[in-house]
Amino acid sequence: MKKLISAPSLFMGAGVFLVVGLLLGFWWAPVDASSMGFSQKIFYYHAPIAETALVAFGISFVAAILYLRSQDLKWDRLGFVCVRLGLLFSVMVMITGMIWGKASWDTWWAWEPRLTTFLLVCFLYIAYWVLRSVVEEEQRRATYAAVFAIIAFIDVPITFFATRFLPEGLHPVVITTGDTGMEGSMFASFFISMIGMTLLLVALIRSELVVESLKDRVADLKHKIGG
Amino acid sequence: MSIEEAARFVAAAYAVILAVLILYFIITARRVNVLKRDMELLEQEVERRQPGGASEG
Repeated sequence: MKKLISAPSLFMGAGVFLVVGLLLGFWWAPVDASSMGFSQKIFYYHAPIAETALVAFGISFVAAILYLRSQDLKWDRLGFVCVRLGLLFSVMVMITGMIWGKASWDTWWAWEPRLTTFLLVCFLYIAYWVLRSVVEEEQRRATYAAVFAIIAFIDVPITFFATRFLPEGLHPVVITTGDTGMEGSMFASFFISMIGMTLLLVALIRSELVVESLKDRVADLKHKIGG
Repeated sequence: MSIEEAARFVAAAYAVILAVLILYFIITARRVNVLKRDMELLEQEVERRQPGGASEG
């Protein structure tokens, strides 16, 4: 079981799901009949990456609460790693979204609810990173970061539900409780890519935590030599 | 928009994803290598400084 959730296995699993999801999206799922046409194929990675970014921010929110309850720095590390990865996925979402926007709406950017709130999420988590870099003392930095992560997370559900509450925006609703508005083959391809992206996030969290433990070890050794 | 035109945008989007991920893996691999090298050097130094450790020079 341990081998199944090791980083290499997770990376391999993510790779398999992502490749299968992409192949199905291109060769099984039909070309979208709406005005989006062939450019809709961007969706098979764009939407899973967006959902995964929000999941990463969600984990950082939970880690922040756990840190404030326990004062255990392992939760601070997990929260920071998830914010970094959330931002990595956000960069991909923003760029692919702009390309898709240009292809289907003929504009690189529109100040509509989903895009604007997602941009705000990015700025908030960049601010979180900046905040961490200006506080020296470890416990205090972790406390400030945890409080900020909890506040920043308020915008995540707003982003997720923006297209539902404010349907006049350009961005379509993807995940709904009822009819998805997608053909079965499209949804299956999306869902497989979604599993792949989630596995990729878990694998990246695991490897980033290993890097963080290496950093701690180096800091510890430096302290030993200095002291 | 024709399929040929749309295909260029689709290719660009997937190329960006691939490029960002590759860049991330390169940066992470470099970070790990630097940290591992630092750790080895520091461990040697700590061992050298300990009483009864390896002699200087």
